[in-house]
Amino acid sequence: MSRLHPFTLLAIAGALPALAWILAAPVGGGWTATVALALTLTPGASPRVTSTGSSPGWRTGLVVLRTAVLTVAPFWLFLLLLHDVPTTIAIGLRITTMVASFVWLVATLEPARLVEAMVAAGWSASVAYLLAATLSAVPLLKARAQRIVEAQRCRGLSPRGGIGARLRALRALALPLVLSALHEVDERALALETRGLVPGIRRTPLAPPPDPAVERAVRWVLLLACLFALVRRFVVPGFS
Amino acid sequence: MRSLTLDRASFWYPAAESPALRGVSLDVAQGEVVALVGALGAGASTLLLVAADLAPRVTGGRLAGSVARHDRSGIVLPTPWTQSSGMAFTVWDEIAFGPANLGWPAHEIARQVDRALEQLQLAPLKSRDPATLSGGELQRVIIAAILAMDPGLVLFDEPAAELDAETAGLLWRLIRLLASEGKAVLLATSALDAVPDVADRVVWLEDGAIRAVGTPDLLADVAACDAGLGTSVATVWRAGGLPAPYPLTVTHAVQRWQ
Amino acid sequence: MSIRLLALIPVAAAISLALSAAVDAVALPLFLDTTGTILATALAGPAVGIATGVMTSAVNTLRNPTFWPFVVVQIIVALYAWLAARAGLFRSLRTAVPAGLGLGVIASVTSTPISYFVFGCTTTGGIALATALGRALGLPPLGACFFGSFLSDFGDKAVTFALVTSVLHGLPRRTAARFPWALRAIGAA
Repeated sequence: MSRLHPFTLLAIAGALPALAWILAAPVGGGWTATVALALTLTPGASPRVTSTGSSPGWRTGLVVLRTAVLTVAPFWLFLLLLHDVPTTIAIGLRITTMVASFVWLVATLEPARLVEAMVAAGWSASVAYLLAATLSAVPLLKARAQRIVEAQRCRGLSPRGGIGARLRALRALALPLVLSALHEVDERALALETRGLVPGIRRTPLAPPPDPAVERAVRWVLLLACLFALVRRFVVPGFS
Repeated sequence: MRSLTLDRASFWYPAAESPALRGVSLDVAQGEVVALVGALGAGASTLLLVAADLAPRVTGGRLAGSVARHDRSGIVLPTPWTQSSGMAFTVWDEIAFGPANLGWPAHEIARQVDRALEQLQLAPLKSRDPATLSGGELQRVIIAAILAMDPGLVLFDEPAAELDAETAGLLWRLIRLLASEGKAVLLATSALDAVPDVADRVVWLEDGAIRAVGTPDLLADVAACDAGLGTSVATVWRAGGLPAPYPLTVTHAVQRWQ
Repeated sequence: MSIRLLALIPVAAAISLALSAAVDAVALPLFLDTTGTILATALAGPAVGIATGVMTSAVNTLRNPTFWPFVVVQIIVALYAWLAARAGLFRSLRTAVPAGLGLGVIASVTSTPISYFVFGCTTTGGIALATALGRALGLPPLGACFFGSFLSDFGDKAVTFALVTSVLHGLPRRTAARFPWALRAIGAA
């Protein structure tokens, strides 16, 4: 599955939740949730992104399924708390589709392949940069934030105390992180400029993923299926 | 042939009242290595940014005087973690980032990247994620990334700051190699002991202006040593109360002693 | 868009996502997940702010897919922050905190329909429980959902505006001058 073109993976992960919302509940949501959960079991899926970044190595699809189930379980619990059973099932199946689709997507989509696909498709290098650079920057800044927290704890920072004391502590933690990050923006800009990332460039793709005609056709079929379902559901009278 | 010419160049950063560079006139020829030395805030980094056409274009600010560049330039900044592209997930891709942005064909990119990997002895790391490298390894990758773009004018701002002694030695030898290939090199460094072996000329900056220009022997001058810009050998010789002229290197000191 | 503003966006988005460590350390019920969006807008205008908000949502979605529908809120936050910056409301905490409270109301109003129609008001445990409390108090379902979102957003946005104000005033003049909106946001231009 991970050898599919990144745009195909995105199309599948986008079409399933769209169909879950377009098709009549609960049957529509049940069908899409089943497909999405089944996708998490497909060979080649690996749990890639956790809250802090990528994890190395392959694991079985069962682990991906478990990640999806554990992520969606609290939603079912709170839905039961707030709504009746039919509403819980209808909304729960839609959320399950969304969560399972994205968990599968994260497990199968390699950021490097997505960036190369975007460049090969003629997307602006700046757009590709934004996505990749944000993914790269998050773990770095999180690690720096943790170091700042530890350093301030050595200086006596404590989570105890009233709201005012905690807000002052928050300021002492957040300001160094944000100011140091902003200071680096200039250096990053200088580095990008000197390495040729300027608006309007036509960047050479380094390893463009193959994009067979079959996959392009599948993406069009998915889009048309969503549009067709939308028209049938909301435009054609009497369709249930 | 000149690669870079500054003629009475002055530069003010945005919202700054006093200039960071004052009336600097400097030529750098192809095949020459020029070292910029000076105290913190002397203007060496700013001069490099002006030479690289990044100031005021990217930094903002105001430039007076003229700057003529006859080659494409590439600059290596001191902090490697802010220079990584953020778009590369292997060292090979990181080095290829610049050539790819220049729109070069794939085979030319591969040739330049492989050459840079060899020059910086990075081949064992080519499949590694740059985010997992040490500061020194990442700085070598960044240097390779700049060299892979085949600039005619190479600018270094404290390139050895993150490097261990052995890797710094590799860098200094590489800089001489670049000059022998016809590239112009302008280098800001506080590693004064390396300058006699690396640089053809030394430019002493003070408060944004050129105080003196000369051969690396400048770093054994009484004035330079008084300003804290002497080599270790010259500084120790002077501290020992031994007479001027101070020796520049250990070899010179041995000759003087004998 | 200049290269400096392009470089700002990923950093600002990452700031939003990295502040969770600071929030956890002081044990306050805050998110601060729009800090980068508001900061980027105050420094560089609405286009950069909106791009930052979209990137924040996109990367957050990789961690929890339920964040993606709320990208609309990030866009609204950027537009509001732009208006606040134009009016110089980041010039002091006295003007910034009320502006943040106003954003809290607007963010709640924007996020409620999304939370209600897409997620049945179950986006977080806190919102779900607050919604349950609202229902127990006799509020209609949509009203209870707004109650839950409001409790979450009101204080969070005020603290975020205060934090961004502190950052803007803490920036060296030379750094602030390089961003097109920074000085105007603090009423210095």
